[in-house]
Amino acid sequence: MTTDPKAPRPLGELERLVMEQLWAADTALTVREVHERLSLTRDLAYTTVMTVLDRLAKKKLTERERDGKAWRYKASAPRADLAVDLMRDALDQAGDRREALVRFVGQVSDEEAALLREALSRLEAREG
Amino acid sequence: MITPILLAALALVLTGPAPALLARSSWPYRIPRAAVALWQALSLAAVLAALGAGISLSYSTAGEPGEPRFDPSSPRDLAAAAVLALTALVAIRLAYAAGRVAVGTRARRKRHRDLVDVLATPDGLIPGLRVLAEETPLAYCLPALRGARVVVSVGALDRLDDSELRAVLAHEQAHLRARHDLVLEAFTALHMAFPRWVRSDVALEQARTLVELLADDDARRRNGPLPLARALVALAGSPAPAAGMAITSTAKSATVLRVQRLADPEPRFPLLSAATYATAVALLVLPTVTVAAPVLKALAEAVH
Repeated sequence: MTTDPKAPRPLGELERLVMEQLWAADTALTVREVHERLSLTRDLAYTTVMTVLDRLAKKKLTERERDGKAWRYKASAPRADLAVDLMRDALDQAGDRREALVRFVGQVSDEEAALLREALSRLEAREG
Repeated sequence: MITPILLAALALVLTGPAPALLARSSWPYRIPRAAVALWQALSLAAVLAALGAGISLSYSTAGEPGEPRFDPSSPRDLAAAAVLALTALVAIRLAYAAGRVAVGTRARRKRHRDLVDVLATPDGLIPGLRVLAEETPLAYCLPALRGARVVVSVGALDRLDDSELRAVLAHEQAHLRARHDLVLEAFTALHMAFPRWVRSDVALEQARTLVELLADDDARRRNGPLPLARALVALAGSPAPAAGMAITSTAKSATVLRVQRLADPEPRFPLLSAATYATAVALLVLPTVTVAAPVLKALAEAVH
């Protein structure tokens, strides 16, 4: 991943900002409305916002509906729901989702925590 | 008739007693890289021996090379064809499992990465780092050919100082660089390819532990053992969240093993390592040559 010149992708970062606007809004927003809200803090092309909303719809993170000539976009789920999904996915180390991500360390029992502390103090004594 | 029996015996030894013995030994943890290679060779050799047993059984049942072609009225030829079909079925099942694991893992990983990208904030400390506003201490990586992510929760950041965080990130980057996920994927596919009542997860569990040791060794070389050991204790020692989390017994002992291993001086066992690699190569050569030898002989005779 250190050799990846495209990370972080600029569109990826915009996806998050666009989703935040959709989550903050009470109703579904048109591309123009999202563009206006984002333009308060940054210089963005209208077509860029359109592209990002389209990508988010493909990822099923937004849903869109016709409103006259325009599309109105809303988040497919509240932020908290997606966060729950993500955490469930990340913490599930027993199911078949296990290979999708590699966790640094799992949870341990009390006896194991004691063994861990014992090994750590041994190391700390040696390393000074 | 001796070849299929030998190969079947080899396949049985390589799927039953050999993995059980290897999993109970502690010496593979001293040489994780060679041990991964040995597990890969062991698993691949078991598959080759099993397929080779089927092929050579069908071959020897059907009679000598040079005899007339397949005769549907002969029970011997029919038996040979049935054995060959069964062997092909095993091979197809294996390929199907590999495909299913590859597709399923990528789909789940992509969905997870999409969620991470809209929920977590990028951090420039290392490329691809995302910080998740969650109290549960959590650090993991999402491997990919391009656009891999390392995800750290705020809860984890709160528990780690700078050097410990660097150790965690070095560990995750080692996973991503070496594509340890592909190693695990192959063992998962092999595991999934067999019906539930015959398969064992020994090889997969061992591979999981060994790639953690490999990533630990990488982080240890960069930052020393202490920050990494502290980070492991800090993130593992935290109480499990209320939502019932499934923890497997092997995952438990792996964490203890990792910290205890860091507490010892860095392992260097060049001889043990070389012997392990040699065994891995021998394991692969044995079934291959056994299957290939009669075929090559028959080919040579056909040419003359």
